[in-house]
Amino acid sequence: MRAEAASIIGAPVGIETHEQFSNPAQQKHAAELGMWAWLLTELLLFGGLFLIALVLRYQYPDSVHAAALHLKFWIGAANTAILICSSLTMSGAIMLSRLGGQRWMVRCMLATAALGSLFLVLKGYEWFADWQEHMTPFLPGPYALEGDAQSRLFVNLYFVTTALHGLHLTTGVAILLGLTWMAKQPDFLVKHQNRIEIYGLYWHFIDLIWIMAFAVLYVVGR
Amino acid sequence: MSPLDTSLMDPPNPSATLERPKDYLHESHTLRSWFFTTDHKRIAVMYLFAITVFFVIGAIAAGLVRLSLVVPNGEIFTSDTYNKLFTIHGVVMVWFFLIPSIPATFGNFLLPLMIGAKDLAFPRLNLLSWYIFCAGSLFAVFDIIIGGVDTGWTFYAPFSTTFSNTWVVPALIGVIIAGFSSILTGLNFVVTIHTMRAPGMTWFRMPIFVWTHYAVSLIFLLATPVITMALILLVLERSFNIGIFDPTLGGDPVLFEHLFWFYSHPAVYIMVLPGMGVISEIVPAFAQKKIFGYRFIAYASIALASLTFFVWGHHMFVNGESDTAALVFSVLSFAVAVPSAVKVYNWTATIYKGSIRLKTPMIYAMGYIGLFVIGGLTGLFLATLSINEHVHGTYFVVAHFHYIMVGGTVLAFLGGLHFWWPKFTGRMYPEGWGLVSAVFIFIGFNATFFPQFLLGYLGMPRRYHDYPPEFQILNVMSSVGALVLAAGYIFPMVYLVWSLWFGKRAPANPWDAKGLEWTTSSPPPTHNFITPPVVDFEPYDYPMETPGDAR
Amino acid sequence: MSQSVTPEDRRKLWEAMRVPVFSFVALLMFLAGLVGLGWLMPGRTASFIEAGLTLCMILTVLLFSMEVREESSLAKFYSFLGFCWLSILLCMTMVDYLTR
Repeated sequence: MRAEAASIIGAPVGIETHEQFSNPAQQKHAAELGMWAWLLTELLLFGGLFLIALVLRYQYPDSVHAAALHLKFWIGAANTAILICSSLTMSGAIMLSRLGGQRWMVRCMLATAALGSLFLVLKGYEWFADWQEHMTPFLPGPYALEGDAQSRLFVNLYFVTTALHGLHLTTGVAILLGLTWMAKQPDFLVKHQNRIEIYGLYWHFIDLIWIMAFAVLYVVGR
Repeated sequence: MSPLDTSLMDPPNPSATLERPKDYLHESHTLRSWFFTTDHKRIAVMYLFAITVFFVIGAIAAGLVRLSLVVPNGEIFTSDTYNKLFTIHGVVMVWFFLIPSIPATFGNFLLPLMIGAKDLAFPRLNLLSWYIFCAGSLFAVFDIIIGGVDTGWTFYAPFSTTFSNTWVVPALIGVIIAGFSSILTGLNFVVTIHTMRAPGMTWFRMPIFVWTHYAVSLIFLLATPVITMALILLVLERSFNIGIFDPTLGGDPVLFEHLFWFYSHPAVYIMVLPGMGVISEIVPAFAQKKIFGYRFIAYASIALASLTFFVWGHHMFVNGESDTAALVFSVLSFAVAVPSAVKVYNWTATIYKGSIRLKTPMIYAMGYIGLFVIGGLTGLFLATLSINEHVHGTYFVVAHFHYIMVGGTVLAFLGGLHFWWPKFTGRMYPEGWGLVSAVFIFIGFNATFFPQFLLGYLGMPRRYHDYPPEFQILNVMSSVGALVLAAGYIFPMVYLVWSLWFGKRAPANPWDAKGLEWTTSSPPPTHNFITPPVVDFEPYDYPMETPGDAR
Repeated sequence: MSQSVTPEDRRKLWEAMRVPVFSFVALLMFLAGLVGLGWLMPGRTASFIEAGLTLCMILTVLLFSMEVREESSLAKFYSFLGFCWLSILLCMTMVDYLTR
């Protein structure tokens, strides 16, 4: 029960059990394990791209170096910082969901979505700048590193990786907004507190993949 | 779990429709109740229907291939058509029949029953899996039949990326989508097995079928995303010429093969492991004997699912990988044979001195064991570098994998289908016809594929539209065998459907088998058990056990 | 009814947010290290340190942000299984490339 009428936390929190489960603890455990299993598959999905990055760096170190110098290092770094901030706000949402602070939880979720969208805006700008500098070899038109055919491979890999990550982030923001709308309903934390935690795992994972991608594409061996 | 449950559920023979308790099949009849169901048993039936359709498509493609190979000069079809036919056969059979066959049908139906649960952990996700499967597979099948794809199911670069003029991209998109169905099914199974077991159902009281499905689910989760990426890259390569697999830009086609086979080798274990689970259920039931070496078989399932990830390079021995890598993969491929062999020994020891009943499921199971051994041994031959040099890309390979896939998995599928048919439908199939079909299939299968070992050894390449005339006799033998095999497949399609209306009504446990699924009615009620089971018995609690078996 | 932060709330919130804030600060510091190295020492020698910093960031996200330390042993197992399998893909493929 509410400790104080004016407290921002302390609302009741719980899970409504679905039919196939015998108790809420079982449902919680299942949902958590399910999300980890999903994240496992996401890691292996990106894994193929990390493999290609490794192979290209091994086979054509100079071409990769030349291509990497054209990447927008500072935008990449800023984006990494943005996602790290969004992880903080997402953690805030999770903690508030546990403590029963619905209003502030919703605010944290919106902040997270806003930061995620900011990332996408910067990314879009970055891609536009790449196109302007003729660093889009997969599109028709001039290519800045024309003489170095192998550099195309790394640049294209960069686009594939960041596009796939961007797709996950876009989907993530969309789901987050949907979840936020649901989270505003009065009974949400009593029935579905679990959902915030499970979603939070996914959000942190998007951050994790970006950290790996940033390091592999922008940083190592620059 | 009350022993009275089953006798209450057994229908007095014949039972009036009104008296019968509601089971999952008869609970509601509307289309809506099927297409929006979350009941794992109904979803399993829907999968069964879908994979049967794909089996027929794949089999027709195979029939046309065998027809074409009756003459050496390839006059029956043009070479382009021939290439499209074997691509249809491979794509449909591998991705839309074999991979979902046992897990999505028997796994979906039986897993909750075997562990004493009401349903899978995520029933709506299960339904979504089915829809994703249908969407991806129908889209892909449409493309490979209407448009045609001539790359083979392996889609090797640079042919698929640069030189093929067929509907490669749409077909790939269909396969990519269907892959998500596997991933979600695997996820559902893993979570279900970990979290939904009935009280008292410890890991070492679970049937081996559950162990093998756990192992398969691990492979689904770990391997499928990698091929998703490989195929996405193929699509991008073909559409945007990103260059990663293009030698003219410095890319490497072998890199595609690494990504492709990292999944596709474990995929063959996706196709094999569930069959092993089925055999592990049938054999003890029809020998009325505790399975020999239960823990060894359980551990072997997990070992197989792990080791399988270390051997994919054996598909690439002559394709450009380094000699050192080839050596490493060859050695590891020998190692991966060991867990499979352990299972074969244990099934054999279970049968030995058992009280054997030669019913249809047991015929299939015994056929499986023999044919799987041949397939497995020839796999070891192929893993040997010096032999591989000669028989790679020949009919020897084709025969090897058909012995495992058809002689193994399809026989296990049919054996399981007959074994659990009473449970799924509440009807018995006609035993005489079951035996006849099993014999037709066994004879037809060997007549089709044994000559192919000889053809391969003698040098006939696979995927070739024409061949030297001296190979014609063996090819004709193989094609005639295929006719017998086809008859063997058609009979069950007829008599199983017949049994739905005219078969004898089945009791809860027609085979005197052990396992939770046999303690509930045939067919089971929607929520599986009238009273939720509590498990206080060991698995395979049959009257006999092998002397000297510790467990 | 207006809501405000009571002292009791403040304490509880701070208790709850300690680990996420620590994780946030750590990640930004590691990022600063990466950015610094990338800017000042471009070239191969820095690669190992950069790889090490990245590994620290990954572990921070996993262990602290995603709370793997408090998860069940099963979740812990699954959270690391993917990385193990990724390393199989990477290492065994590189066996081919390194020995050609």
